[in-house]
Amino acid sequence: MTDLQAPGFAEEHVRARARHGAGSAFPDREGYGSTLFGGAAATLPPPTDPIDRARLVPPVFVPLRLERLFDLGREPLSGDVDLTTDVGGLRSTLPVYISAFGSTAAASDLGLGVAQQAGRLGIPMVIGENIVPVSGYGRMEQEKQSSLLGRITQYIDAAPPDLGGVVVQQSTEDANAEVWNLVYSDPAAQPLLTTGRLAFELKVGQGAKPGVGGMTLVPRARAAELSTQYDIMDLYGPASESVLRCSSPGTFSEEILRQQIRLMRNNYPRCRVWVKLPPGRDVHHAAAVAWAAGADSVTVDGAEGGTGWAPSAFLDQVGLPLAECLDRVTPEENCLLVSGRVWEGARAVKCLALGARAVGLGRAALIATDEDPKLGLENFLECLALEMRLLISALGKYRVSDLSAEDVWMPSAR
Amino acid sequence: MSADTAGAALPTPRAHLTSDRTRAALTLQGRFLAGARDFLVSEGFTELLPPTIGPVTDPGARGAKQVDIDYYGHRYKLMTSGILYKQASLLSFDKIFHVAPNVRLEPLETAVTHRHLVEFHQLDVEIAGASREDAMDVAERLTKHCVEHVLSTAQEQLEILARETEQLKQVCAAPYGRKRHSEAVAELRATGYDQAENTEIEWEGEEIISAAAPHPFFITDYPKGSRGFYDKENTEDPGVLRNFDLIFPGGFGEMMSGSEREADYRNLMMRIRETGENPAKYEWYLTLAREGIPSSAGFGLGVERFTRFLGGLDAVWQASGYPKLPGEPRP
Repeated sequence: MTDLQAPGFAEEHVRARARHGAGSAFPDREGYGSTLFGGAAATLPPPTDPIDRARLVPPVFVPLRLERLFDLGREPLSGDVDLTTDVGGLRSTLPVYISAFGSTAAASDLGLGVAQQAGRLGIPMVIGENIVPVSGYGRMEQEKQSSLLGRITQYIDAAPPDLGGVVVQQSTEDANAEVWNLVYSDPAAQPLLTTGRLAFELKVGQGAKPGVGGMTLVPRARAAELSTQYDIMDLYGPASESVLRCSSPGTFSEEILRQQIRLMRNNYPRCRVWVKLPPGRDVHHAAAVAWAAGADSVTVDGAEGGTGWAPSAFLDQVGLPLAECLDRVTPEENCLLVSGRVWEGARAVKCLALGARAVGLGRAALIATDEDPKLGLENFLECLALEMRLLISALGKYRVSDLSAEDVWMPSAR
Repeated sequence: MSADTAGAALPTPRAHLTSDRTRAALTLQGRFLAGARDFLVSEGFTELLPPTIGPVTDPGARGAKQVDIDYYGHRYKLMTSGILYKQASLLSFDKIFHVAPNVRLEPLETAVTHRHLVEFHQLDVEIAGASREDAMDVAERLTKHCVEHVLSTAQEQLEILARETEQLKQVCAAPYGRKRHSEAVAELRATGYDQAENTEIEWEGEEIISAAAPHPFFITDYPKGSRGFYDKENTEDPGVLRNFDLIFPGGFGEMMSGSEREADYRNLMMRIRETGENPAKYEWYLTLAREGIPSSAGFGLGVERFTRFLGGLDAVWQASGYPKLPGEPRP
């Protein structure tokens, strides 16, 4: 465990789940028998987010449970919920994927532990942009293995052969380092390519800082070298050890997005194509363009998401919240993935019911791995899976794809 | 052609270099290049020596990684093709050609196509003020001339290679065919091959239509998104490029890619973004374009691929003294 912190996020709850696993879905069992539970908010602060304020609303009459009853010849239970899901063309054991963390220091230290556990569990993992231009790739004999290559090989070694997958992002600056070409032609990635478990994600933006590119603090000594590729801002005075490294958000028009996706499909025919959109006011339009151009998946990062460094103004006041993104985007048969402050089952199931195919874990995955690099993420996901099964079966459903907006009650609509 | 000639067991350098077949193939290659030079010089072209490294190179290769060079602390690239320099060189001469070495770290899946080498050469031609049709006309006359030249000067080598010369004579017997990319896609689909509409013709698909063809033919009008940013978009048919590939019969497949070039600064900037590229790294080229470069058309003919066709070789590596197949460390 390091000094990783996530203010404003349910950090202690995530750490508890990473330590104790599925039992953490319930209140502290020490109180069992002596505490009266019920009502609200024993465990959570009063919600302000529309998704958190919404409630999952099981029906009394449950036709799909009846179908399952016929199938099974007995009463269906929560364990009968099938959580396996096609996530952007990758087969996942849960409707969950690991979001990109970018090249922040916290992420690169924990990345290998995340890769190992995500691989073992067979859930897709996105590897962030800017890793290669900043840290290098490292496949020559004398070089230290890079964060990107390390995460890919850890994932492959741990994963069952037909589950999960690795998704590699590329941003505008990454194009200089040809991250996708590098991975696509690399022998280390072949086990993923030959089993259809490699995807590339075109990064158009992300929730933590819609309208600006990735930002990290880098050592002053590296400023000159990185300034050939990035904008470097010296914010803390010449005596400080670090400077701010800024990526560009990249210039996109409808045609630029469409053609970039087509080029990905042309150049990497054995890869899945993912597109990550920021929570912009035209997110529905951009998502429709991406799907029409052949994207296997569109990821929308709600403005409450993100693991990265960004100005407070952006973190607090820029971009659409996830609830609004879900309201605007109509995926129909297409794969929509969402992320944004997801760490427990109810928020996840609400997102799925409101149109998402799967939910991304960013901060939650990092904190859980920080809590226990070997088992933290696995414990955390065991708890999340139990909650999801209980909630989905409570809704009288046994497949993730059966969830729909009828399962959610939005108080604001009244 | 069999999988075992695709590269799993290349001969040792000594065995390869001392083989009569290698010697015959490389002699053919020399004759073809001599014929090409005669033809182009007689048409008023100037041969230039191509740069081999630069701050950027052609990003248009499908899934292939470029080779980085540490150039006094700057990241330089080995040329994947000299297209940007071809356009720039038209500031000096109206009609130019290179015999240019190129290096592309191709995806490993291409090791078995019989048609991919990591290190290969292109006969690069560029013509100022030309249209696509002008370039295709030069391409057809050039390749026919080279076939005739080899037939008349390399009979002994063709016999060593047991080349069926009827196929060579057929090249010269009729005009090259022409079909649009959309027609080629439709034909492939009619055979049951699952070819996507908006992408490059896949390797296997290309081999299928090449095997079925009696004569060489051009495929024109590729969709945007399948090619580099320098292929000019048709202003009257947006989304379609003013470009072409030349496909040879007998399963030998693509020999050449060419196009009318984009030379307008704003269009180039748009197209660079559409191909996901960072404009900043093309600074020298975009500066020239902003100040004005000639409109042009041109093409690159794969030297080893064409040699493979001329000699009827099983695989393209047999047309190189030092073949490098994707993923294989070789001298």
